[in-house]
Amino acid sequence: MQPLPPNTSESTPATVLARLQHAATVARDLLTHSGAPRWEVFAKSSLTREVEVGEAPPLSVIHTEETGVAVRTVREGRTGFASASGLETGAARTAIGAALALESRTPVDPLPPRRLLAASPVAETAALPARGWAQHTAGELAGELAGGSGGRLKLLRAVVQEGSFGWLLATAEGFVVTHAGSRVGLMAELLVGEDRRAVWREWAHIPDPDRLDCSSLASQISDRALLTCAPTIADAGSRDVLLHGEVAAHLLAALVPLFLALPNRRDPLPPLLDREGRLAAPKLTLFDDRTSSRVPVVGPSDGEGFPTRRTLLLEDGIPRHRLASYRDAQLSGEGPRGGAVRLSYRDYPSSGVANLQVETLGGDPPTRILAHTDRALYLLRPLAPVEVDLVGDAYRLVASGVWLNRGRIRGWQPVVELRGRLGLLLRRIEAVGTDLAWYQTDAGFVGAPTLLVRRQPVMG
Amino acid sequence: MAESKSIEAPFDPRWLDGVASSCGRLHLGTPQLLDLYFERRLELRVRALDGTVQLEESRAEGTAARWRFPSRSVLYARTGVSAAVLAELIGHGAPQAHLPEGRAMPPAELDPPHGWREWASELANRLRPARPTIIYMARRAAVVRPGSWAAVGVPDLVRVHVAGASNGALLAVWPHPELPRWLRELATPPPRRVWVPPSGHELPVVFAAGTAGALLHELLGHLVESDLAASGASPLAGLAGSSLAPASLEVSDDPTRHELPGAFSCDDEGVPAQPLPLLRGGVLVGWLCDRIGAERLGSVPGRGRRGSFSRPPTPRLSNLVVDPGATPPDALERDLRHGLVVTRVAGASVDPISARAVIRVERGFEVVRGRRARPLAPCALTGRVLELLTRFDPAIGSDASPEWRLGWCVKGGAPMPTGSLAPTLLVHRLEVL
Repeated sequence: MQPLPPNTSESTPATVLARLQHAATVARDLLTHSGAPRWEVFAKSSLTREVEVGEAPPLSVIHTEETGVAVRTVREGRTGFASASGLETGAARTAIGAALALESRTPVDPLPPRRLLAASPVAETAALPARGWAQHTAGELAGELAGGSGGRLKLLRAVVQEGSFGWLLATAEGFVVTHAGSRVGLMAELLVGEDRRAVWREWAHIPDPDRLDCSSLASQISDRALLTCAPTIADAGSRDVLLHGEVAAHLLAALVPLFLALPNRRDPLPPLLDREGRLAAPKLTLFDDRTSSRVPVVGPSDGEGFPTRRTLLLEDGIPRHRLASYRDAQLSGEGPRGGAVRLSYRDYPSSGVANLQVETLGGDPPTRILAHTDRALYLLRPLAPVEVDLVGDAYRLVASGVWLNRGRIRGWQPVVELRGRLGLLLRRIEAVGTDLAWYQTDAGFVGAPTLLVRRQPVMG
Repeated sequence: MAESKSIEAPFDPRWLDGVASSCGRLHLGTPQLLDLYFERRLELRVRALDGTVQLEESRAEGTAARWRFPSRSVLYARTGVSAAVLAELIGHGAPQAHLPEGRAMPPAELDPPHGWREWASELANRLRPARPTIIYMARRAAVVRPGSWAAVGVPDLVRVHVAGASNGALLAVWPHPELPRWLRELATPPPRRVWVPPSGHELPVVFAAGTAGALLHELLGHLVESDLAASGASPLAGLAGSSLAPASLEVSDDPTRHELPGAFSCDDEGVPAQPLPLLRGGVLVGWLCDRIGAERLGSVPGRGRRGSFSRPPTPRLSNLVVDPGATPPDALERDLRHGLVVTRVAGASVDPISARAVIRVERGFEVVRGRRARPLAPCALTGRVLELLTRFDPAIGSDASPEWRLGWCVKGGAPMPTGSLAPTLLVHRLEVL
């Protein structure tokens, strides 16, 4: 066997894949002699560079290289899973030894058969930016924010996260899929207002660093941050509500269990549907997609080797398909369609969304939505996890927001709570914006625009 | 050479001696090696699934080197602990350095204690149908600074997640004598008939059963972290020496309380653990500092903690401890005409833009004329941080309970085990959302 190709700080996708293939070959040899007839190996390598640019030097830079191998085995009705860091022979040996030692009885074979596995063509992600891009971008952003806000916003620090990664999935039946990609994100932390100590943090997914428009990014940040400078007021009652994309994203993340086929539970979906079988208003269409280069998580297959595709979860408010790992699909009696995610090589592949996205084709520009509201509350940012009771048809949302009157700002309410029936909230979505942006949530990445919801109970 | 020989070293102590000596011989000019960090982790998960129990194991090890260059500070981190990894990381700043040969063999395997798997499997079956996940976590680490090294001793932990009707979580040191009682509480389903407190009302609230620890973790613990204080992002920045709370309120951060999940023998920058007073007589007296924060604020280091080998140390809380007083906890409720008593908190946060705290109450009771009346529906309470601190009643409960539900604290995306121990406390006014 060839020795493990060396890792260098200038690794290319080809060298990363060569290292992963080496790890898979080692694991294959060890597993072939282990007596496990069915197995799966997942190897991953991530190289990240994080640059923090503050108001003054020094820069803070983090270079990280993390690798690991995970193994699932199945034999005689028993299954095991284990992972170990590294791509060397020792890592594969450790993971395999533990997976075999931990095997326990399984009601179904969790490994999908070869005939269901394939790789879809996916768009290439943009190349990582050149060194110095982070400092340049932070400097430009600081200028745009200060200039565009009349000095009311001051960039305290910008953290640019650049990551390139590769992964490989191989099975005992000879299926192999690999992927190499990259991802860039930026977190901006700014001081708001001249006479108060208020800090605004904003994260942005940057699909193509070479085409980043700093002026547009600065507007996106400042539009929302500056609204908190309005005089403080309090109001309550049944009101129209505009959800900023970040608030909408966290609300949709809380709904993700509705779009997963999970065993051992009473299906919460049917009681939430109206007579026409709708969960939400016809304006709302949701899908999960890993094939576009514009989304944060791109890949040719899901975490178990099912080919990726655009999976329609909700079409014009009507539930269509559900995502599931192969095991969960079998246990819940659904046809396997793919939908396993691996947050890290350390995690067992589980049912989940990769990039939950709101369809914005046919949506309205946010300015037009604004023009159609009279007295409305514009929710800027969630202040706590959005809570939904899927069985009890209830939701609770704590956020900060601004009150609007015919498109004009009446004032800022630092903390406001909305509490009501979840079904009514979803069926009263009257407009979907075109300003889709990506947000990190507990349920994965969610791409959401501004949403207009009619008459919701605002607690004040 | 080791600063903490009584703690089990994660790797061969002679090898660590050699690495420390080699680092000591490095040129101390430019760039400057700040420290090396070696880490090993074990996580064993047990999940209940459709009539069976699934076991999963994850082992990881990694190395990190921090360098200070004239214009930047850099952390290089890599999976693995070996001479080759070390040579690569040291080579970024000192390509000619002579390092000890060979592998840093650990003295013993990092394994769960005998019987843990059986205990966890039995618990998983007992907690059905709540879809429990039970996790054993062990971490061993060492920090090498030029000329010396220290082993980072932390307690092994157990985490339990329960989904479904009695949705909740537990984080505790393994083993802990109170674990069986906490697990029974965790599995207790919520009451069916509950009272929804009226929105917009301001009520006195008693924080019982250790929940005051979760409240002060947010109101004080995070806000005295040196990175937030130095940048002005904390509402407490610049208030050192100010009286913020009643004189009877004594709060400290104590990593030497090894029965709590945030304990350590030394922090992840090699500073030996010492309790740190935060509020003394109600006056703000301490900041939680890593080494950089201590330089900036002229304070003491000792709270530089790493979420993993691939993250740099940042100032974080260990175990927040509130000194008990002399008031029987029942007395704090007995004097209320109408108010709330909180027995379980689902979470809390402070909004950096408005400096308002939001406390999500999961369970509790309405209190009417000193007696617990209807069970409380989940609700949210809010108030401004500085005002809330002044609204604590001077009477401090004589009990001291650990908060076992909310120890897993996330800041900047980095999760960290923390603990708290607090008596029953009364806040005179909190707004119901």
